Amino acid sequence: MAELGVLRTDFVGVPVTDRERSVRFYGETLGLKRNEKASPEWPEFETGNVTILLNTPEQTGVPFSPSNVAIALRVPDVAAGMKKLEAEGVKFLFEEAYDSGVCHMAFFKDPDGNSLILHNRHAPYSDGSLP
Amino acid sequence: MQVEQVDFVSVPTRDTARAVAWYRDVLGLPSSAYTEAEVEAPNVTFSFWMPEEDDIPFAANESGVALRVADVHAAVEEVKAAGAEVMGIEDTGVCHMGFVKDPDGNVVILHNRYAPRVPR
Repeated sequence: MAELGVLRTDFVGVPVTDRERSVRFYGETLGLKRNEKASPEWPEFETGNVTILLNTPEQTGVPFSPSNVAIALRVPDVAAGMKKLEAEGVKFLFEEAYDSGVCHMAFFKDPDGNSLILHNRHAPYSDGSLP
Repeated sequence: MQVEQVDFVSVPTRDTARAVAWYRDVLGLPSSAYTEAEVEAPNVTFSFWMPEEDDIPFAANESGVALRVADVHAAVEEVKAAGAEVMGIEDTGVCHMGFVKDPDGNVVILHNRYAPRVPR
């Protein structure tokens, strides 16, 4: 069909239990730009192409459970990003960046256990292009 | 650290082929030209993964991924006609949200903001 007409992805919801702690993590630790126009009760962070929306179980009515919808954040250098975050106390699943053969990935969690990935594709696609 | 963009969002599933078919056929998102486990939303890639293959218990995402459509009510009728489970439509005061479940129970929000944003 494809009649639906999806225009874009507006946001990815991330469940948090302590809004202020998460605002510090996404804004200061990860360095994402906060959307100053968004309601303070629904903090939004901009990544360049898609918005991360923090919500609490009280707001959604959904009992808290950490999201395993991992958000892959592109950084120029995954190893350097790991070092920077480790200095701020972030723990990674593996000691070194995982090399999938086409990309580097480093898996970690936000303070509530929601899944995040530092990501950088280093190999071109089969047609020679890079993302 | 400079985050440049979100490269993909990984969506948990118990059946990658079924998930790709649903996002492609019901939501109309083109499947990836490069891999069998991805679909392309216009500004971000959805990558399906099977947590149980990595010994991680499957849990559906209930926090929602919001896809912008021009008309939420019309879009909800379309996905309902295609057999999708619809939880309902909410008017938040600034946007319409149609809550839909994918075949794994992950919540997809058909979303359209109709109110202008005002700085807080």
